Amino acid sequence: MALLRGVREKIKKAVKAKKEKVMRKISASRTKRKEPQKQERKEVFGIQELAIEKSKFSTPVAVKATRVMPQELPAGYGVDRIVIQVRDSWWLHSYWEVISATWDKLKRELREAFFNAKKIIRVYDVSHIVFDGKNAHRFFDIEVGLDTTSWYIDTGSPGRSWCVDIGLLLGDGRFITIARSNVVYTPLAGPSWITDEEWMVPEEMFARLYGMGFGFGKSSPVGKAWQERMRRALFSGIFSSPGIASAASPVKKAIKERKFWLAVNTELIVYGATEPDAKVLVQGKEIKLRPDGTFSLRYALPDGKQVIPVRGIAADGLEEKTITPIVNKETK
Amino acid sequence: MHGHLPFVRHPEHEHFLEEDWLYEAMTETYIPLLSIFEKLLEEKIDFRLTMTLSPTLLSMLQDGLLQSRYLNHINKLIELGHKESERTRWQPEFNQLANHYLASFYSCRDLFERYQRNLAAAFKRFQDAGKLEVITCGATHGYFPLMDVAKASIRAQVKVASGHYEKTFGIKPKGIWLPECGYNPGDDEILKEAGIRYFFTDAHGLLHGAPRPKYGVFAPVYCKSGVACFARDLESSKQVWSSIEGYPGDYEYREFYRDVGFDLDYDYIKPYIHPDGIRVNTGIKYFRITGSEQKQPYNVHAAAEKAAQHAGNFMFNREIQVEYLYGLMQKKPIIISPYDAELFGHWWYEGPQWLDFLIRKIHFDQKTIRMITPSEYLQENPRNQVVTPSMSSWGWKGYSEMWLQGPNDWVYQHLHAASSRMTDLARSFPHAEGILKRALNQALRELLLAQSSDWAFIMGTGTHVSYALKRTKDHLLHFLRLYEDIKANSIDELWLSGIESKDNLFPDIDYRVHQ
Repeated sequence: MALLRGVREKIKKAVKAKKEKVMRKISASRTKRKEPQKQERKEVFGIQELAIEKSKFSTPVAVKATRVMPQELPAGYGVDRIVIQVRDSWWLHSYWEVISATWDKLKRELREAFFNAKKIIRVYDVSHIVFDGKNAHRFFDIEVGLDTTSWYIDTGSPGRSWCVDIGLLLGDGRFITIARSNVVYTPLAGPSWITDEEWMVPEEMFARLYGMGFGFGKSSPVGKAWQERMRRALFSGIFSSPGIASAASPVKKAIKERKFWLAVNTELIVYGATEPDAKVLVQGKEIKLRPDGTFSLRYALPDGKQVIPVRGIAADGLEEKTITPIVNKETK
Repeated sequence: MHGHLPFVRHPEHEHFLEEDWLYEAMTETYIPLLSIFEKLLEEKIDFRLTMTLSPTLLSMLQDGLLQSRYLNHINKLIELGHKESERTRWQPEFNQLANHYLASFYSCRDLFERYQRNLAAAFKRFQDAGKLEVITCGATHGYFPLMDVAKASIRAQVKVASGHYEKTFGIKPKGIWLPECGYNPGDDEILKEAGIRYFFTDAHGLLHGAPRPKYGVFAPVYCKSGVACFARDLESSKQVWSSIEGYPGDYEYREFYRDVGFDLDYDYIKPYIHPDGIRVNTGIKYFRITGSEQKQPYNVHAAAEKAAQHAGNFMFNREIQVEYLYGLMQKKPIIISPYDAELFGHWWYEGPQWLDFLIRKIHFDQKTIRMITPSEYLQENPRNQVVTPSMSSWGWKGYSEMWLQGPNDWVYQHLHAASSRMTDLARSFPHAEGILKRALNQALRELLLAQSSDWAFIMGTGTHVSYALKRTKDHLLHFLRLYEDIKANSIDELWLSGIESKDNLFPDIDYRVHQ
């Protein structure tokens, strides 16, 4: 970048400090600025948009992020249902509701077997097919707790279509579907391998354009850096259990601060009173009196000597008085 | 540029902290941009910008209550500006700045009043002059990829937005900024129904599309529906956004976090912060970024000098980029550089100035590039490749995680259920009249307001969560009660009137679009 700037390290530090301030706004109600803790940061895709967008909502009252469910909203909507959504190229989010009547019915029908059954979600790869419940390319199961109503699913496969059942896996291996989800498609994590015939894309040219599209300039190893970055970003949460994968979000890390600070400023108040219709000049500049003839002025007081002549002139101009406070300020 | 704020109108309180989001953006972003446009027009300097004005933002700019509250707000700032000008008398470097702010507050008020307090009308003027292409957005900025099971709501978001746009600007919107740049294949069909001709994706949305886009992000493509898709160029974005190399971090530029609202003596500043004594940003900020904790006074002239340099740098890089691309493509490339409008002025104080310099430099100093709107580009280059872009957004990590993570994922169960109930209502009452019609329309308003991606975003960042929770909950609860009352044929007119006057946006909404 051809920016005419001096010391690069300095810039990084400044920006870091600025960004951390954004984050700090989140965690503590505003007291006063503090020296940010040094902390290693990498640039995450979209983080800047995030910070800027967030600055639109900057207000001093901050509340800690807790998972508070507004109590008055219903816990469910009275239908058996499972929905899946795409979080990114690898991960799905699913939520479901199974009404108690359904559990009762299953209990009645399955008797003993019900109590040995596992509640699972079954994830089907349904790419390029019309799914009929039996023709999936493959599937895998995730056992979920009885009270669980949502789950993050690591599909491991971008560019595939998915469908999920919530149901019971019986001791004898039978699976009973309670509800079946919508079908979603996880987006590709890289460029498509499809190049249409009419518009044959020369490989080398696409490669160069691909790199430039991500702002890597002409020389960078095309696409690789991006994919690496995306993989890092996406996998940052993979080691935590599903559902809290997002705890890896850098914006939510509580930044522990420990740096004592103190700020002291001085201001000077000059006040007085005269006849309400008189004219008053302070340092030669006319000021506005209150209706009762009083006045009050406030100045930021820098170090040094301030000479402040206050001159009052009667309304008829025949009489006048000057009083001159002199203030010396020094800071040690 | 993408201009958006969620609907924050609170007639129930005289002072509502969240309304300041609007007032700050007006003073620091929208009005400064408009006054730049005015001068360019006056001096006959040609320019092209494409700008989203989200329907919620437009609605607030057109709202009488918020307009009169803004006038109070700016008058208070002018009063504070006078006091500051006095207070800093013995500190010339601050005194200059205080006078600078005072003058800018006066010119804000002046512009605001010249357009009869209606900034939407001001933007319209520049659209009518052919300089600005205003595009629309989701009605309340709902994030479409997480409405995949609620397509009727996507349709309502698009149709309500385009109806509101048409009423405001007298023409149909040519393009749309999908909220958070969130695209899901197939959503273009809904855009087509509304007559919208183009939208944007982030770079990977197009680069990972199928088949491979021949020209990468440097030419638009058509979806199968015939709606065009333009993709963001990350190189130019990075120059402005990047926390490491971006312009806004320059030491000469103004420091965002040193505001007299926080810095000055409590008793002195009290009349200009929240009446409950909560310190807020006033917009008067005296320091520059500096590069160390010991902040130096901000210098308007040095900063302007820097903004001019940065504009020159940006233009130079685009020229190089375009020359290189032209050699590669043998066709005129287009470079899409989208930014949050509120970046300019609010976050990056010198942003509007930078833009002004950039426009002037492009006009006077070179012949390689020119500014163009997407619709002009399509008119000149009607033949483009057919590609289905990939699902994507411009948010954190490039997909949906910002709006789908631990603190906010619970909202979708409720939003989706409400959406299917709304469809049920629209189908059950194809010809409602009178109070029933009012209740149905209000139900759609409440649903749309609950869908604003801003609430999930705020919950996701952890900042100011209680407000976002309350908004989500309130609108959903209003919706649920309306649904039950309508179904039971027992609408409480008094209560309905209450929420109609509170959540009063989109006066011409038609609940039947939600199908």
